[in-house]
Amino acid sequence: MKKILQLQEVKVIAKKQTLLDVPEFTLQQGDLLGVIGPNGAGKSTLLKVLSFLQAPNEGRVVYKGEEKHANTLSLDIRRRFAVAMQQPLLFDTNVQQNVVLGLKLRKENKKIINEKVDYWLNKFQIDHLAKKNALSLSGGEAQRVNLARALILEPEVLFLDEPFSALDFPTKAQLIQDLKEILNDTSTTTFFVSHDLLEIKHLTKSLAVIMNGNVEQIGYTKEVIDQPNQAVAPFLNKWKELYTL
Amino acid sequence: MKIVSQIVLMFLLIFVITACKSNDNNEGQPSHGQKDMILATTTSTQDSGLLDVLIPIFEEKYNINVKTIAVGTGQALAMGKQGEADALLTHAPTSEEELVETEEVINRKRVMYNDFIIIGPKADPARISGADINTALQRISENKATFVSRGDGSGTHKMELDLWEKARVDPSNESWYIETGQGMGSTLQLSAEREGYLLADRATYLAHANNFEHMSVLVEGTDELLNIYHVMQVNDKNHGLVNGEAGLLFVEFMVSNEAQEIIKDFGVEQYNQPLFFQYTE
Amino acid sequence: MNLFIEGILKAIEMILSGDREIFKITYTTLQVCLTAIFISTLIGIPFGVFLGLNSFPGKKIVLVFVNIGMGLPPVVAGLYITMLLWRSGPLGHLGLLYTTHAIVIAQVLVSLPIIIGLTSAAFQQMDSKMLMQIKALGATRFQKVGLLLRETKLAIMAAIMAGLGRVLAEVGAAMMVGGNIKGDTRILTTSMVMEVSQGNFDVAIALSFILMTLAFIITFILTSLQQRKQLV
Repeated sequence: MKKILQLQEVKVIAKKQTLLDVPEFTLQQGDLLGVIGPNGAGKSTLLKVLSFLQAPNEGRVVYKGEEKHANTLSLDIRRRFAVAMQQPLLFDTNVQQNVVLGLKLRKENKKIINEKVDYWLNKFQIDHLAKKNALSLSGGEAQRVNLARALILEPEVLFLDEPFSALDFPTKAQLIQDLKEILNDTSTTTFFVSHDLLEIKHLTKSLAVIMNGNVEQIGYTKEVIDQPNQAVAPFLNKWKELYTL
Repeated sequence: MKIVSQIVLMFLLIFVITACKSNDNNEGQPSHGQKDMILATTTSTQDSGLLDVLIPIFEEKYNINVKTIAVGTGQALAMGKQGEADALLTHAPTSEEELVETEEVINRKRVMYNDFIIIGPKADPARISGADINTALQRISENKATFVSRGDGSGTHKMELDLWEKARVDPSNESWYIETGQGMGSTLQLSAEREGYLLADRATYLAHANNFEHMSVLVEGTDELLNIYHVMQVNDKNHGLVNGEAGLLFVEFMVSNEAQEIIKDFGVEQYNQPLFFQYTE
Repeated sequence: MNLFIEGILKAIEMILSGDREIFKITYTTLQVCLTAIFISTLIGIPFGVFLGLNSFPGKKIVLVFVNIGMGLPPVVAGLYITMLLWRSGPLGHLGLLYTTHAIVIAQVLVSLPIIIGLTSAAFQQMDSKMLMQIKALGATRFQKVGLLLRETKLAIMAAIMAGLGRVLAEVGAAMMVGGNIKGDTRILTTSMVMEVSQGNFDVAIALSFILMTLAFIITFILTSLQQRKQLV
């Protein structure tokens, strides 16, 4: 497996507090990595640093073996990624316009845009909503638009920050199922922050557990869940108890 | 809808741009030999409409663009003193003479006169009708009848203060004495509303007379009430940017036969009486 | 009441008869106000965006000044500009006093803080997650500002309309720096003040109708622009 993103000696400090302290971290190409941890553990900060949205205070972010200085947030590299967050954060225009936004920002050819948008609207089963205003959609519909907006970019890495946590269970289950197929088809490298062990189990290949700004354990999802190390065991076990209820 | 508003937006943009350009054209005129001149004068002269007739003739004749700034006499004289104007047309002889003495202005010439009148409600509560001016003011004071003053340092206001002094009355702290701090027209309207007496110049009163029929002229026709206008140029030796040449031309124009003929007849058609009388030296 | 009806009739008469002076005054008003608001928008929006999106030392003080400026009484602006433009003042040699340029300057001074203030407020209210999302979509700095301008369009157009309202209504400064010169710097508001002081209420009422019609038309156009929906 190829290394697509690496962190070396990365620290993020805000107001004299260390939010993130990662001596060594690697995201492999083709991986589907879940990231869990308690609130405020640094999951979202890790996502921002990896996706070139936030420069770390110390350390290096390495893209495909190419070292990028901590504080140069290269637009060129950022454009190879896509991010979908918990809130859909759609714009006040129709669904189609929202989905093509990233391509338009990249000044992509119109013909290609039209082909791609049809494909992705169809893939996420939102073709019938194309002309509808994005702000009038239901939560599930909006999140489909959000994911389509990210995946239409055919990103080298897809970053997801709790994209399902605001959805009700049946909607969530259906969307996870659909997304899993799409990610399998495209074999997109995915970095998936979540709060939900079920989502993680269902969707990811490997799993990282973050606590207090440190990556405490990383490995195959099943292994981490079944054999948590000392640092993460209390957190994971409590969770597992909840789910077996 | 989208296209319509885009077209309208384009139209607005073009309008603004052409507006800037047409502005430049106006500005460009001086480069064709036309010069600007600032004339500071009183609101009463402007309100009478006389300048609307005289100025265009002057502009045409000498190719000078006159900017007429109508303010109170106090401000007009101050503008002269500071060199903000090139010529003055005012009616406060005493204050004007001070400027002549300090050589702030030169070439001061008498142009015309009309007269001040005391106006009041037809009911005339202080019974001043037909009285001489001193008696009239004293009666107003004795009866504590409402009197409305310009209070703005204008020529009319200065004249009024002189008259009070001559009548040996000091109204300044009395409750019946109202100071508006505004121009002649607004003060006239206020006095009509409050049914008060006031000193006004005849020209402005005639222009307003049809707006308040319950007011009438109560005291008029004495020498003390003469309202004399002088024209003068600002001394260009004191201020670098003063257009002395144009100022001199304007003074000469105002006392010329051509201008005086117009002044003599002005207002006859509309009010059946002239608003100003020739009064050159 | 009679006066009101007379005023309406006078307005219709003056407009129908194509009164040259009325036309000139209206034209000058439009020219001056639109130029002023155009300049204010051109300067105010970028400045407001900058203030809204960035934090830097001294930002608070700048915002305080902008907010004071939003309430700057036009006569105060007029007075200062008059003093600057006086022949004896520092900019006297430019000969700008008593020109339409001077009115434009005064109107920019009173409308600019409104546009800056309301624009920066709109940008400050922007969800920080939305800013992150726009960045994540691969927007350049310019594209980001462009998207945000569209998202805050309602507020920005409201800012422009508020500025325009101030400029159209303003009279004190225009009187002072323009001098209300016939056929030159006379605009609708200053000429209304003059007509009222001369007792010509019918003309003043007629002018007021023209002014309100202008305000209505311009606001209508801006409102319909405001309500448009289109991205990139």
